[in-house]
Amino acid sequence: MTNPLIIVENIVKKYHRGAEELTVLNSLNFTVYEGEFVALMGPSGSGKTTLLNLIAGIDRPNSGYIFVGKDEISALSEDKLAEWRSRHIGFIFQTYNLIPVLTAFENVELPLLLTPLGKSERRKHVEIALSIVGLADRMSHYPRQLSGGQEQRVAIARAIVTDPTLLMADEPTGDLDAKSAEEVLILLERLNSEFKKTIIIVTHDPKAAARASRLVRLEKGILKEDIPTESLDSARFAEAASVFVEARPK
Amino acid sequence: MKLLPLILKNVFRKKARAILTIGSIILPLLVICLMGTFLRLLDRPDPAETRGMFRIVTRHKVGLASPLPMSYAEKIRQLDGAFAVTKFNWFGGKYIDNSARNFFARFAVEPETLVQVFDDATITQGSATDWFNDRAGSLVGEDLMKKFGWRIGDQIVLIGDIYPVTIQLTIRAVYQLPDGDSDALFFNREYLEEALPSFQGKVGTIWTKCRDGAAATRLSDEIDQMFENSPYPTKTETEKAFQMGFVSMLGNVKLLITSLGTIVVFVILLIAANTMALSARERIREIALLRTLGFSRVTILMLTLGESLMLALFGGILGLGLFVVGFRPLKASLINTPLSGFATAMTLFPEVLLLGLVITIFVGLFSGLVPAIQASMRPITEGLRHIG
Repeated sequence: MTNPLIIVENIVKKYHRGAEELTVLNSLNFTVYEGEFVALMGPSGSGKTTLLNLIAGIDRPNSGYIFVGKDEISALSEDKLAEWRSRHIGFIFQTYNLIPVLTAFENVELPLLLTPLGKSERRKHVEIALSIVGLADRMSHYPRQLSGGQEQRVAIARAIVTDPTLLMADEPTGDLDAKSAEEVLILLERLNSEFKKTIIIVTHDPKAAARASRLVRLEKGILKEDIPTESLDSARFAEAASVFVEARPK
Repeated sequence: MKLLPLILKNVFRKKARAILTIGSIILPLLVICLMGTFLRLLDRPDPAETRGMFRIVTRHKVGLASPLPMSYAEKIRQLDGAFAVTKFNWFGGKYIDNSARNFFARFAVEPETLVQVFDDATITQGSATDWFNDRAGSLVGEDLMKKFGWRIGDQIVLIGDIYPVTIQLTIRAVYQLPDGDSDALFFNREYLEEALPSFQGKVGTIWTKCRDGAAATRLSDEIDQMFENSPYPTKTETEKAFQMGFVSMLGNVKLLITSLGTIVVFVILLIAANTMALSARERIREIALLRTLGFSRVTILMLTLGESLMLALFGGILGLGLFVVGFRPLKASLINTPLSGFATAMTLFPEVLLLGLVITIFVGLFSGLVPAIQASMRPITEGLRHIG
């Protein structure tokens, strides 16, 4: 067994919609171990993305604790948290979120602008990241000149360029066709197995979940099911995944 | 500095909008520089103070149209601290025609005392003696000589309007004043007195060169007190105050120009602020992304402010550059207008350019301030959800 990397203790997250208070996560406890590839599933509004945002340090809980490695990120100040994110988190979005006026190279370089690296070192890092995702020949292309799959791979290169501890992906295949989605999933799997990145992915896609080493199902802010995928035969996996898929609103 | 390319890309993200905003900074800035030059000319240091000339001017208390008795000049000359005294009479009249192009200041004066009071003037062509010796001679400013292409010995005919007489003058000497205002013509008052006996015994203004600054201050009061109860009460002031008086005839020009300038700055500020607000609103999601990547609130604030500052600087530097390049042609074009007096004295004042730069930086920083604060303070999750 590897060491715990993320420990979430009694997390409560509430939102206010006018006078109404909405509890999105309710006393949630959750642990992720180093090198795991975790798929978070569940119906819309179950709190998957909220949990992902809290672990990534881009949102704060109302109560409870979140430890990532030795850092209690729920107690860090806004500035410290920003610095922590730049060193430890790589974030992949459903809609890629590339900056349209920057080339693929410049988009991937963005997180490195916060580091003390010089221009030539930054170039080296960007080239490595883009070659890992197979886009070394698209460096000078603007997002509008790339396909959706290529854009997402540039976004993955941007997420890994600082060599972060954790990769967080929020529906990374949600906007892609089947072929591009497959390529992205293979890439994430490779980052996990070959580069030992701990990955948490929010998905509605059973194929994406099947790449994970662990399936976590949330419902109404509560952890309903936590299953290592290796313990599931294909029939059981299909059944488990279908529960999640059925729960997805049409 | 690493973020500069990102700032530049954002500035020109929407090229048409950036160019229009830059244009809307350039044009008002040109107006501001022109207004600043005019204000600076009004505020020029008193030559009497800077060059130790200590000149004061006495006129009728009612106004310049009312003459003073010539005997006043002799009384002033006898006062302690009066170093030299000379008399001026505005001749007016017309040269060729009444067009603005052919308008310039023409005075009947006392040649020998004029050069004593204006001993900072340099005779650049001809000689003062030649002028003294020719009753129909004239002393002409260097700028006028250039404007009309005159030469020593040329004949100038002035047709009187206030004084019903036509006089024919010969250019005998050319003068240059250190402050550049060398655009008047002077001729011997004896010529006018002979041609028009009714002119005798009257002077428009009396110019006194005082021994020092203290004497200038004291004599201003002393002269006015001396003539206070006479039929011709006087008003005495420094040379600068006297010259300013002409401008103040138009009302409080300084206040007017300053108010207009402030409005123009405010308008630029609103235009630039609108551009920045639009730009920041379109990029809410991008800013949330940058913060997800680890950009701190301060860095986002700097990025947004840097963008507005850069936009303003593009406009500001282009505007100031255009002002510098276009200054000479502008000056030349104003020479032949009723603003010729202003145009002749126009100089590229470094402080006006500095003012333009300060206004540019002010506009840059303040136009971006509110969008920058909003961008840096908005929660990341809210920004990521934003559909722009």
